[in-house]
Amino acid sequence: MTVSDRQRSLQSSMHDMGLTEEAIERRKRIVGLEPADLGRIAAVKDVVARGAEEFMATFFEFLSKLDEARPLVTSHGLLDRARQLKKAHLAAMVQGEYGTRYVEQRLELAQLYARAGLEMLVFLGAFHHLLRAIGSAIMKQFERSPMEGFENFMSLQKVAFFDIGIIVDVLVMERERTIRQQEEAIRELSTPVLQVRDRMLLLPIIGVIDTHRARLITESLLRAIRANRAKVVVMDVTGVATIDSKVANHLLQTVTAARLMGALVIVTGLSSEVAQSLVALGIELSKINTVGDLQGGLEEAERVLGYRLLRNGDALPPPTMTEN
Amino acid sequence: MAVPILKQEDVLIAQVQAILSDDDLNQLKDDLSNRIGRARSRGVIIDVTALDVLDSFATRTIRGIAYTAKLRGANTVVVGIQPDVAFGMVQLGLSLEGVETALDLEEGLAFLRNAANSRGPRVR
Repeated sequence: MTVSDRQRSLQSSMHDMGLTEEAIERRKRIVGLEPADLGRIAAVKDVVARGAEEFMATFFEFLSKLDEARPLVTSHGLLDRARQLKKAHLAAMVQGEYGTRYVEQRLELAQLYARAGLEMLVFLGAFHHLLRAIGSAIMKQFERSPMEGFENFMSLQKVAFFDIGIIVDVLVMERERTIRQQEEAIRELSTPVLQVRDRMLLLPIIGVIDTHRARLITESLLRAIRANRAKVVVMDVTGVATIDSKVANHLLQTVTAARLMGALVIVTGLSSEVAQSLVALGIELSKINTVGDLQGGLEEAERVLGYRLLRNGDALPPPTMTEN
Repeated sequence: MAVPILKQEDVLIAQVQAILSDDDLNQLKDDLSNRIGRARSRGVIIDVTALDVLDSFATRTIRGIAYTAKLRGANTVVVGIQPDVAFGMVQLGLSLEGVETALDLEEGLAFLRNAANSRGPRVR
């Protein structure tokens, strides 16, 4: 990734997380970082800058002792970049500028942690060690006036908590993104609409139906009805373990919507438990055409479309009167 | 805007072009009812392909048209309901119950032809 690529992806991440100038100001207000703190931070600037190398070493030494952090410390590419960024972090922490640029740097480091699969508690432990090392260095510097040293350290700690806020958000967001991607994948896998014969569709439903998924199923079915000019749809719910009143209502809506487009829906595969529980719940499904199993449903659909299935050698039965 | 009504043999086709006001809908109902009598039509097709919304009043009026036409001796088919419109309608709990529906004009005509055939040839 080139430098400008990285910059662009960071900017889009900032945008995704809603880290505008106002949001950054709000974050500062929440940790209580105010102009008065800047002076106190400036007072410890030299101590932190002088010990930066050592503090960074503390941070990574702590991580190297933990099994959980192995992916980070064993990958040289990641570790080198992380060291580089951490050092820049320590320098920036005492610069007194905590705007967009500073947040971007935090974001980059946080994304690196996320890529390495660093757990939040591991990161927090390491960060705590780092802060303790900085704290004791500051207290040593201000041996004569410990109160002042403490105040200065507390101001610096506000910056530290500002950083933690961002990093935790990134780690949580990365995790949520993984979950979202998986959900998306499952959803796409699970609602195929298949053409079985000319003008006849099969809609096998497997798994749990919630409002969102019911909507997707209905939408893809309606689109398929138009694309394939379908007249009959066989909806097989063998793979749906439980049907409560909400799910039944969703199914009913799908059936009604298909009918509005001129297609007949045949529902198959209502198991005996499901059928009994629907009756027990008093759910009215009499408007739906149901056939016991998928085979029966397909046969019924063929009959509606006027197909007759013949085995080779069978005599052709005389055409029935209803057909033209 | 009034809805143009075309006559094709014994079928009347009402081609809805744009969103209809309540007055337009009532006008359509009167027009169709009269034309069925004059043209001795056996079928009515209401084509709503161009519509991107069907509200409760429109649904109710269409149902009214279908029942009226039935009493005047004609079958009614609503054709061309778009996927988004169908989805919107079920969300609102509208279902056009008792009214035949078909995918498009071609399907609607095929349906009416079948219905006519099953009733037997017509004596002119």
